[in-house]
Amino acid sequence: MSGLTLKGLRKAYGAAQVIKGVDLEILPEEFVVFVGPSGCGKSTLLRMIAGLESISGGDLFIGGRRVNDVDASQRGIAMVFQSYALYPHMTVRENMGFALKFAGASKTEITAKVDAAAAILGLGALMDRKPRDLSGGQRQRVAIGRAIVREPQVFLFDEPLSNLDAELRVHMRIEIARLHQDLKATIIYVTHDQIEAMTLADKIVVLREGRVEQTGSPLKLYDDPDNIFVAGFIGSPKMNFLSARVQGGRLVLPELADQSLPLPALQQALPEGAQVTLGLRPDVFKRGGSASLSLTIEIVEQLGGETFAYARVGGSAQIMTIAVEDGRALRPGQALVASFDPARALLFDTDGQRLR
Amino acid sequence: MSNAESRRGNLAGWAFIAPAMVLLGLFMVYPIFWSLWMSFQTGKGLNFKFGGLANIIRLTKDPVFQHALSNTMIFLVVQVPVMIVMALLFAVALNNPALKGRAILRTAIFLPCVTSLVAYSVLFKSMFAVDGVVNHTLMALHVISAPIGWMVEPFWAKVLIILAITWRWTGYNMVFYLAALQNIDPSMYEAARIDGVPAWARFTRITIPMLRPVILFTTVLSTIGTLQLFDEVNTITASAGNGGMPADSTLTLSLYIYNLLFKFVPNYGYAATVSWLIVLIVAVLSWIQFQVAKER
Repeated sequence: MSGLTLKGLRKAYGAAQVIKGVDLEILPEEFVVFVGPSGCGKSTLLRMIAGLESISGGDLFIGGRRVNDVDASQRGIAMVFQSYALYPHMTVRENMGFALKFAGASKTEITAKVDAAAAILGLGALMDRKPRDLSGGQRQRVAIGRAIVREPQVFLFDEPLSNLDAELRVHMRIEIARLHQDLKATIIYVTHDQIEAMTLADKIVVLREGRVEQTGSPLKLYDDPDNIFVAGFIGSPKMNFLSARVQGGRLVLPELADQSLPLPALQQALPEGAQVTLGLRPDVFKRGGSASLSLTIEIVEQLGGETFAYARVGGSAQIMTIAVEDGRALRPGQALVASFDPARALLFDTDGQRLR
Repeated sequence: MSNAESRRGNLAGWAFIAPAMVLLGLFMVYPIFWSLWMSFQTGKGLNFKFGGLANIIRLTKDPVFQHALSNTMIFLVVQVPVMIVMALLFAVALNNPALKGRAILRTAIFLPCVTSLVAYSVLFKSMFAVDGVVNHTLMALHVISAPIGWMVEPFWAKVLIILAITWRWTGYNMVFYLAALQNIDPSMYEAARIDGVPAWARFTRITIPMLRPVILFTTVLSTIGTLQLFDEVNTITASAGNGGMPADSTLTLSLYIYNLLFKFVPNYGYAATVSWLIVLIVAVLSWIQFQVAKER
């Protein structure tokens, strides 16, 4: 399996810059997820790696070889599309073996490879069916099988689960994770779903407007985001953001009726009166701590195992999402003292950059 | 809804479609059965009597009919495949987003089928005259050394008719293919590209099978159209008011039916027999085409 190196990769359509210089190192056998809101360029970047879009600037290396001008079929990659892109007039077996015919493989070789891939994916009973006779999940498995038989150096997945219903999506997510373990393949996976990113990735690349915002392991991005965008994008429910003011060694929260909390320990000193944004994940309130906020519950969401309270102070517009341990007795209108460890609070400057 | 109500609803429904049903019955269903009955009648004009299979026996002995049949079959066998292949190639070429001026080219290729028949026939007659622009151009390019008698030599007259109907109907068929091509998921071609499927194989192994239903549809339609070919052979290769010239070399079945009814002493029975033969040929050929195109 090969790794990839992206050096200052750019893509422009006329005057419009879509990918604005991406540097990235992807290790062999790594599962990398490109995630970001729609229009961030994640699919374009994947298609540039695939060779479906030309590269306007920078260098792309796959397995140490510069492939900017190498045809898609010669890059040692295989791609799984959101629409599955199966050939509707061919059976599952023909779909999976089609590419091998043109790679000069013999009939017995093709049969062996297709059967092996079918066994990995549990497609054995479906081999003579046409795509229209398959469910969405089965089609997706065939599409993955078609990629596997080519024994590529790198697998590319373009939002492969977006067309599936929620239950199947969870199921296929687990299958893809298992597949990665079995095949020990390098995988680049594009999704807008941060849960898919969190659960599948060894490394997440968060993209926004054609730039990499942050790269790191899922938990690194969750615990230690570089900026407000990454902090807000990763994690569900979303992180709470409150504007805050440094005053007398404490953080004063004007949106919460000037309640205050101790200033989290930082490497840098913040000047008196500095405006910052405070980021608090809903689950920091689960464990309690020395700081606390007094709020009034507006809505309670009972998920069975978990409870989320949506609460605010008086008539303020700022609504807080709070994960509550043992919250089954909570009712709207009740007062809630949400306590947390101030060390787990994140601070961002007015440009959205993390203050450490 | 009660029974009485549903009966009233049914009645109202029938009342609404009654005018159309009456007109269809009067001007379509009735004549169809009348012509079938007529095909067993012999005699001239309105003076006819039941003749059993006499008309069918006459078909087997009628050299003019056999000439018309063979002409029609030549047109069918040569023109339909050429046109279908050309329409397909044009459609694939014009579906390529990289091609500049696609909209203009599409319109240009489609335009002939909405052009007035008489206007284009007059132009073709002038262009393909012995001293016309086509011969002049071909001679200037040294493709030919002497002018071709497009409308005087039986072979070239057939070529001219094939050229004319191909020119007229290729764009029409192309539009069906273009519409079908635009329904093919582009990621299928991208998948094939990544998988190293060469361009020719993408065309023959993906595009053609995906277009199979449309190809069948256009082939059946074109077959029917060519079997009923009348317009061009009654205008372009007509002289002194008689179509199918020279020497009946472009006489088609439809034109022969027309002649039987309106040029010669009218023979309704025999003309009806030839008409029903066209129906039979269309049915058989369409059945064969459906069998060939059936998904295996």
